[in-house]
Amino acid sequence: MKRLIASVGLLLFIALYLWSCEKDDICTSDTPTTPSLLINFYNKDNAEAPKTVTGFKYFVEGDPKIITIDGSVSSIRVPLKVDATSTKWGFILSTTTNNVTRTNTDFLEFRYTTQQTYVSRACGYKTTFLLDESVGSNRNPTLSNGTTPTDETYWINSYSVERDSVDIENIERPNVKIFF
Amino acid sequence: MSKYFFSILLLVSFSISAQQTGGEQLQPADTTAAVVPTWVDKYGLRIGADLNTLSRSVYDDGFRGIEVVADYRLSKRFYAAAEAGNIKYTVDDYMVNFTANGSYIKVGFDYNAYDNWLNEENMVFVGMRYGFSSFNQNLNSYKIYQNSAIGTDGATPTSTPLPNYFDQVTVQTDRKYSGLSAHWIEFVGGAKVEIINNLFLGLNVHINVLVTQKKPQGFDNLYIPGFNRTYDGSFGAGFNYTLSYFIPLYKKQGQPAVKK
Repeated sequence: MKRLIASVGLLLFIALYLWSCEKDDICTSDTPTTPSLLINFYNKDNAEAPKTVTGFKYFVEGDPKIITIDGSVSSIRVPLKVDATSTKWGFILSTTTNNVTRTNTDFLEFRYTTQQTYVSRACGYKTTFLLDESVGSNRNPTLSNGTTPTDETYWINSYSVERDSVDIENIERPNVKIFF
Repeated sequence: MSKYFFSILLLVSFSISAQQTGGEQLQPADTTAAVVPTWVDKYGLRIGADLNTLSRSVYDDGFRGIEVVADYRLSKRFYAAAEAGNIKYTVDDYMVNFTANGSYIKVGFDYNAYDNWLNEENMVFVGMRYGFSSFNQNLNSYKIYQNSAIGTDGATPTSTPLPNYFDQVTVQTDRKYSGLSAHWIEFVGGAKVEIINNLFLGLNVHINVLVTQKKPQGFDNLYIPGFNRTYDGSFGAGFNYTLSYFIPLYKKQGQPAVKK
């Protein structure tokens, strides 16, 4: 009888444990979910030398939210819209010469196809992206200029697509290289 | 509501065990009595329904189900036991909303470890079941997890991520996954108490361990009718309140062996 009570009690305990601690309800940060584009900056005169940007800002065209990077970095992560097939980002480069700070905005429009994959109960689904191939002079991404008068020149000298699939979070190989 | 039921049943089972201890203390007096009482074990089929499934169909809008339970006494302590049911349940999780719909059957045995007072038929039991469920799922909507927050270091967000740049996207869909199935082993423990003549109220808890399952492509079995919610992919748990009626078929009787 005691053994029975113990075993029923154990069953009850396990059941209560399962009901209460729903640890698979939390999407942990090490779970691969929707990845972002990785863009690295390089020196236009030396394609092997990473170049840092300071106080870099970027935003989606038409969106008032602006992402500001504190300090100097040589790579940035750029999320893509999961419910669209293109995202146009504006990249603002600030340069200071003789205590005068000038900004220059260049736009890159990324076109892509999306694929949705089930991840888990807590993380739902993720979207992975495949950048469209450039066709002739119609390059992907497409570079365009800002609208203000100071933006007549491009700060981006050239760019190249190194990895067209945006499918694994935190992979170190950049998707796009920007030379300036 | 269900918690209320639960505590009443616990109280009932405690009072029964209290009665039993009282009985044992009286036994020495009984053995000296001239007339040795006759025990009667009733054998038959007990059929009922799970009140938990039924009541949940009433108070939970997304849930509709019925479960029939039955057991058949094989020997003094062993009972063949089975449950069969049908459940349609819409699970509204934060990231996914889906409807599972299907039927299931569980077959196994209960072992009654309770030493009944003369001519009582109560049970405190443990048991096992083999469970099988055949079901389909309909994915109604899902959310896309996108951590588009950019940390101030420009790389991946760590300690102080900014709010997500893009709003979370919910995709409305109507994707049906048919022909799904699951097999599992269930460990059961509980009690059945005769409340009035041949009418039994029961409570049991069961822990399920998945043996094999057929998963939908591009989704998962997050809820399996009969098995319930899946935890860590292969565990489940549930409980039943059963009300069942005992149909007596035959009796076994005799005189208790007098211990020397």
